Amino acid sequence: MTTEKSNMIEFRDVHKYYGDYHALRGINATIRAGEFFSLLGPSGCGKTTLLRTIAGFEDISSGAVMIDGKNMANVPANVRPTNMVFQSYAIFPHLTVEENVGFGLRRDPRSKEEKAMAVAEALEMVGLKGYGKRAAHALSGGQRQRVALARALILKPKVLLLDEPLSALDKKMREQMQVELIKLQRQVGITFILVTHDQEEALVMSDRIAVMFEGQIAQLADPETLYRRPASRKVADFIGTMNFLPAQILSDSGATVEVEAAGFGRMSLSPDQVMGSPSAEGATIGLRPETLTILFEGQAATDREVLGTVEEVVYYGDMTYYDVKLDGASSPMRLSMRNVPGRPVLDRGAKARLGWSPGAVVLFR
Amino acid sequence: MSKNPSLKIYAIAYLIFLYAPIALLPVFAFNDSRVIAFPLAGFTTNWFAEMWADNQLFKAFRNSLTIATTSAVIATALGIFAARASTRYKFPGKGGVLGLIMLPMVLPEMIISMSLLVVLIAVGVPLSIFTIILGHVLICTPFAVAILTSAFQSLDRSLEEAAYDLGESPASTFRLIILPLVMPGIISSLLICFTISLDEFIIAYFLGGNQSVLSVYIFGQFRFPAKVPAVMALGFVLVCISVCLLTIAEYFRRRGIAKTGGKDTGGFL
Repeated sequence: MTTEKSNMIEFRDVHKYYGDYHALRGINATIRAGEFFSLLGPSGCGKTTLLRTIAGFEDISSGAVMIDGKNMANVPANVRPTNMVFQSYAIFPHLTVEENVGFGLRRDPRSKEEKAMAVAEALEMVGLKGYGKRAAHALSGGQRQRVALARALILKPKVLLLDEPLSALDKKMREQMQVELIKLQRQVGITFILVTHDQEEALVMSDRIAVMFEGQIAQLADPETLYRRPASRKVADFIGTMNFLPAQILSDSGATVEVEAAGFGRMSLSPDQVMGSPSAEGATIGLRPETLTILFEGQAATDREVLGTVEEVVYYGDMTYYDVKLDGASSPMRLSMRNVPGRPVLDRGAKARLGWSPGAVVLFR
Repeated sequence: MSKNPSLKIYAIAYLIFLYAPIALLPVFAFNDSRVIAFPLAGFTTNWFAEMWADNQLFKAFRNSLTIATTSAVIATALGIFAARASTRYKFPGKGGVLGLIMLPMVLPEMIISMSLLVVLIAVGVPLSIFTIILGHVLICTPFAVAILTSAFQSLDRSLEEAAYDLGESPASTFRLIILPLVMPGIISSLLICFTISLDEFIIAYFLGGNQSVLSVYIFGQFRFPAKVPAVMALGFVLVCISVCLLTIAEYFRRRGIAKTGGKDTGGFL
């Protein structure tokens, strides 16, 4: 058994070309044993290609992919210690559920009875006990997904690869499967690598996430860091919503950075709030919608306060989203308020006092 | 569906035009007269006996069967390779190569037979069943490729990858996953190639040498009015065989669809 800290997958400067198209541009990353890891990015960013280089379905143009310390160059997919759950599930339609799940055991030297036991166990693990004799094509989307999981896990791979496994399910089913997958991963202790374009899904499920754009990893971090301290405007924009405002850097002492932004005034930020290296393009500050709060009558700001006018109100039931234009700023800020009992929903045109804290600000240089 | 009666009449007239001649086959095959005309003379099975006793016919029938079976198997095997290549791989000149494979489908058979005849004689290959098979494979392969390409196209690529991922070799993946899933296409291809070869006339006539096949034999028999009733009997037997083959093909096609849970999008029947 590998320890929690050891590396399961290691990418060493992985490049992949399709003809002239540079699909993977120098991937360097390690995935730890036993973690739930996500590759997150928009379509065409190379996340599926990267996953397929682990499975062995894509050759890499240069660099190395290591699994459990072994270089996978020239190791074909059918002998790699990985198994995959495909986006389309790839359930063999001419076989029964049992035959599908037991497919990978064909070359297993165990007896028929032992294999049948293993299949039954795998089916029970994914909540499909008693479905063994059914025709695979007669199953619903969620059930196919479970069969695909059982079929991949029965071989006890070192790494389970999941290629957008939840994208074909409806919202309710997807949320249910997210929770089940997390539980399953904890139960079996296998390294799970999930490819998704759904930032919410990645945040909910993963121990760590690699955000990819255009064949490169833009940031690799745990969900909270990714959300609170995005490494670039692009990452911040892709994960959740963030308000951006142009800002002037007044001074940078190394210990604190003095910044001024229209509407918010001066603030001093600590180095961990400052992203990127100094550039000529000019700096931007970013604020998540929930770090701005409307202060109702009698409420005092916990830290600092600005004034503005409500320009747009979007009511979501549990939440209300406001676009508020700050006095002195050019573009409106998006903020979200939880609709708790007794809290009024403001109308368009209303004046609002906003509470905020420099500690929630991120500066992109 | 339509309230217009003329459309209904048209449809019925069309079906009569299509099937009445075939319906006449059994009528005259069992009619006790050498003259193919009404009124009917009475019931007999003599023509079947005569047909059965005809050695030349038997030989022609056996030749046709050999040619049709062999051509169907070879054309379908070639079709599998071509369809697999066209649906899975990219290579330079792919469009041109596939176009050339499909060309015999629209090329007049007369041209194919003439050019083949010239080449075969020039090379010095004696005309025989073998040369007919060569010609038939040439005209059957495009049909096989067309049928099998659609079968291979409907195959999800990740099925192959899944089998590979689960430890199978490319060869066993082909045998365990791809072959069973394209089997309905293979059976369709075999049957259609068999039928095309069986009733093909021009190539068989040009390239057959002194070997007679069924279509050429039947055509020859029409020169002797006395032989016509036996040909009618033979025609009736052929219709029965065709219906049987079609039923078998349709059965396998539907079973294939039911087994894989696909949607039925037409077919033979």
